[in-house]
Amino acid sequence: MLHYYDPSIQSYEPSKSGLNPDFDYGTPASVSETLVSISVDGRAITVPEGTSVLRASALAGINIPKLCASDNLEAFGSCRLCAVEIEGRRGYPASCTTPVAEGMEVTTQTGKLAKMRRNIMELYISDHPLDCLTCPANGNCELQDVAGAVGLREVRYGFEGENHLDAEIDDSNPYFSFDPSKCIVCSRCVRACEEVQGTFALTIEGRGFDSKVAASQNDPFMDSECVSCGACVQACPTSTLMEKSVIDAGQPEHSVVTTCAYCGVGCSFKAEMKGDQLIRMVPYKGGEANHGHSCVKGRFAFGYATHDDRIKEPMIRDSINDPWKVVSWDEALAFSAKKLKGIQAKYGRESIGGITSSRCTNEETYLVQKLVRAAFGNNNTDTCARVCHSPTGYGLKTTLGESAGTQTFDSVMKADTIMVIGANPTDAHPVFGSLMRKRLRQGAKLIVIDPRRIDVLNTPHGGEGIHLPLRPGTNVAIVNALAHVIVTEGLEDQNFINSRCDTGAYNIWRTFIAEERNSPEAMEEVTGVSASKVREAARVYAGAGNGAIYYGLGVTEHSQGSTMVMGIANLALATGNIGKEGGGVNPLRGQNNVQGSCDMGSFPHELPGYQHVNDPKVRERFQSVWGVPIDDEPGLRIPNMFDAAIAGTFKAMYVQGEDIAQSDPNTQHVEAALKSLDCLIVQDIFLNETAKYAHVLLPGSTFLEKNGTFTNAERRINRVRKVMEPIAGMEDWQVTMALSNALGYPMNYNHPSEIMDEIASLTPTFTGVDYDKLEQLGSIQWPCNDDNPQGTPTMHEVEFPIGKGRFAVTEYLATEERASRRFPLLLTTGRILSQYNVGAQTRRTNNSDWHEEDVLELHPSDAELRGVSDGDWLGISSRVGHTVLRAKLSTRMLPGVVYTTFHHPGSGANVVTTDNSDWATNCPEYKVTAVQVEKVSQPSDWQRDFVDFDKRQQALLKPAMGQQESRHANTLK
Amino acid sequence: MIDQQVNNLIKMLDQIIANNRHHGDDDKVTDVAADHLHKFWARSMKQQVIECANENPEALSGLSRMTIGKLAGAADSKESLPHPQCDEDR
Repeated sequence: MLHYYDPSIQSYEPSKSGLNPDFDYGTPASVSETLVSISVDGRAITVPEGTSVLRASALAGINIPKLCASDNLEAFGSCRLCAVEIEGRRGYPASCTTPVAEGMEVTTQTGKLAKMRRNIMELYISDHPLDCLTCPANGNCELQDVAGAVGLREVRYGFEGENHLDAEIDDSNPYFSFDPSKCIVCSRCVRACEEVQGTFALTIEGRGFDSKVAASQNDPFMDSECVSCGACVQACPTSTLMEKSVIDAGQPEHSVVTTCAYCGVGCSFKAEMKGDQLIRMVPYKGGEANHGHSCVKGRFAFGYATHDDRIKEPMIRDSINDPWKVVSWDEALAFSAKKLKGIQAKYGRESIGGITSSRCTNEETYLVQKLVRAAFGNNNTDTCARVCHSPTGYGLKTTLGESAGTQTFDSVMKADTIMVIGANPTDAHPVFGSLMRKRLRQGAKLIVIDPRRIDVLNTPHGGEGIHLPLRPGTNVAIVNALAHVIVTEGLEDQNFINSRCDTGAYNIWRTFIAEERNSPEAMEEVTGVSASKVREAARVYAGAGNGAIYYGLGVTEHSQGSTMVMGIANLALATGNIGKEGGGVNPLRGQNNVQGSCDMGSFPHELPGYQHVNDPKVRERFQSVWGVPIDDEPGLRIPNMFDAAIAGTFKAMYVQGEDIAQSDPNTQHVEAALKSLDCLIVQDIFLNETAKYAHVLLPGSTFLEKNGTFTNAERRINRVRKVMEPIAGMEDWQVTMALSNALGYPMNYNHPSEIMDEIASLTPTFTGVDYDKLEQLGSIQWPCNDDNPQGTPTMHEVEFPIGKGRFAVTEYLATEERASRRFPLLLTTGRILSQYNVGAQTRRTNNSDWHEEDVLELHPSDAELRGVSDGDWLGISSRVGHTVLRAKLSTRMLPGVVYTTFHHPGSGANVVTTDNSDWATNCPEYKVTAVQVEKVSQPSDWQRDFVDFDKRQQALLKPAMGQQESRHANTLK
Repeated sequence: MIDQQVNNLIKMLDQIIANNRHHGDDDKVTDVAADHLHKFWARSMKQQVIECANENPEALSGLSRMTIGKLAGAADSKESLPHPQCDEDR
């Protein structure tokens, strides 16, 4: 919504906190430290050198009309509405493209300027439909506002001449429409696609009067390179690009700032509402993680929150072959508590456990692990980070002393070389991927270590990156080879090593890494990457002023995942790339609150704040607050829980917001474990794959229905604010609390802020965190305590939590999962942009228009050997299972490597992945599975069983869903 | 006959030892491995490998046996904590 005058903005504040995120200052801020003073309409203002006159005026509280300018885009100077007069200068310069100069005297309102602006608007409006009252932008249209601001009263040219009023609407995108009849060709959408998103999907086609916005080669949006991030829609000053939800429902009337619940970027959004109906999610410019940008998931894929499949009432059943019975909360909780207590009485205290959710809030995660430790009386708590970033926790804690990434996302803008290892930021962390691409366009160098050629290598105007397409499973070999070059070619930062690192550990590591067996030449045969390329990459990384490493699950999900994380830390320590902006070790967390769920003590060996359960002083502090003894032995990890369940010693599980049946490896093993349980309590928003094996189904709440906090991949704690009431009457933290009370361990919190206060009292890195401070600062990056009361954007600037950085010896050991004559290909798995993880949310939105099914990508030469064509059905067999997917030929991988995603449960991608896991943490080795691929004509046995089981479970749910609908309707009445 | 669960534990232990061989001689390596089990393995997992080492020592490598010996020694010297609330409940 456009604001022309904001009386609260009277002067420039040097700090960003003085700015209003809801206000458009016209052009981006200048980062210059040199200040320049000017006067605007007699008002004095001092701003950084390089600031535009338009922005300086806005900062002075004087708002010059504009249409092509926006403060997230570079000045363009096409609409000329922002023309001003400047003392001593000729003509009417555009204030957006004119930088301030010392002593400049600017006049923004004169008779001549007013006439010029009216004339410009007259021309615009002469080729614009006059359907304002029925236009979806009515009430929120910059064109309308500017027409009003300049005093447009007539259009002398009439509307009969040549025009674009009959231009055809492009409705192909499921989320927004493109109506070119309303376009004023300001290029804001084109520039947003280029500058903000970095996709360059849009262009201005034609010249002069024929100019028009086109997607790709004048394709429908849906068929173009557009990734549906929404930046163009947000940038549009008219209703040319407009959300369909607004077209359908009208303009929202209030909004709430909250945090996205998809990936680990943790974007801030304004949830724009009409009553209790969410109309649209608009990325919030005040969000420090995303600065007003978004992706197709966070921006548009929120329809799942009100999907018909939502579980709205608690349900119970005695056996998984029984129909679900809708019951009251009290009955469901009493049923659960009785079962859990009975099982513990029969099989012992350690026979039950719980899984916290990396999608739920910090407060909810904290409560689940507290429930397990205090009410269950054991440490059998784990989280989905087990299967993604547990090696990050182990590896970074060992080398750097803290289980977290070291930087802010913004730090990438100061990186000279960016190394991306086993991550795919443009798909899995798209908003950060766009920021990374922006830096690459500015000239930063790129190194990608990945079996696949990921999209960031194809960054338009980004220069040529170095791609090291290694064989799956050889990460440690390549990181050692890189370190070998750094050490043997004298590229180390000796000052940093001498002053910041443990000398003994360094000397041992240096001797190891300098051995010839770690050289790129020696490792060439192992990794499949040419030694010269590895040497080039090492020199580029070590030779950069600032070298930043970003990594993902392609690092952690290996039998040597923890070793690789330590290898990455070694690289950063050796080159002094720790403790400064532009450098660092940056794990890109998969889910919205993976960092938070780890911080909150979800792992079985650690209490909140990564404090080990066998430390008596730590236990004493928790015991004094929780009022019960805490077991001093670690509990079971998820894979150990499965093994114990099959062995008959682990009998019950409470699973909050985690679909282990779909996401964990070796599906048949997981299914056998779940079937072995006497009581499975699932708290989720849908009947997910795990819930089909459950005896209790407790309705979960989406991020829109609760208060709390998420912590993103840069350790940023962000508020989650309730925008609608929980569909089943309780937020997830309230459900856990009620279950605990039913078990006889009292929990009595009135608001998540009270839970955060308890967390802060027990967690040394959170002692300064509270909801008031979060409101005041917007977000906080932990550690936040007496030493760092405002939080810590960059870690390890002065010292490490363990004193000195510790190099670790990283011996390469080949995984046991090797290609053979029987299984000659290596399967690796990953994600795509439009779907999220197990797809429970995104599959229930129009995002499936982009990805209806998981496919198997294979190289044309592997396809030719097997007589496979695009679209053929392929049987994929591994040592543990068999599934069938459709073939997609791709040259993204080298021959010998195949790739798929796991977003659709029926695909059975994890039917073929094995039990192999990281040696230190048991994180599964999803990224390496030896397989054979052959053409088939029918689904696998597992897939047929899956379909049958799904049908049976849906049938068992159907009567209860009908019952819940009528009960829910009655409640609403 | 060793069950699948214990087999998995033996495999995990072998992996831990293999990834820590760089620490030096067998004594040092098994110190590190035993410390790892102590810090990260659940009580029931420790008990199972200790039982396996007692009943089926031939199923384990020499280093695994050494590691478990050290783990068992540490376990013997430590009393398991009762959990009053849970124990009182049943």
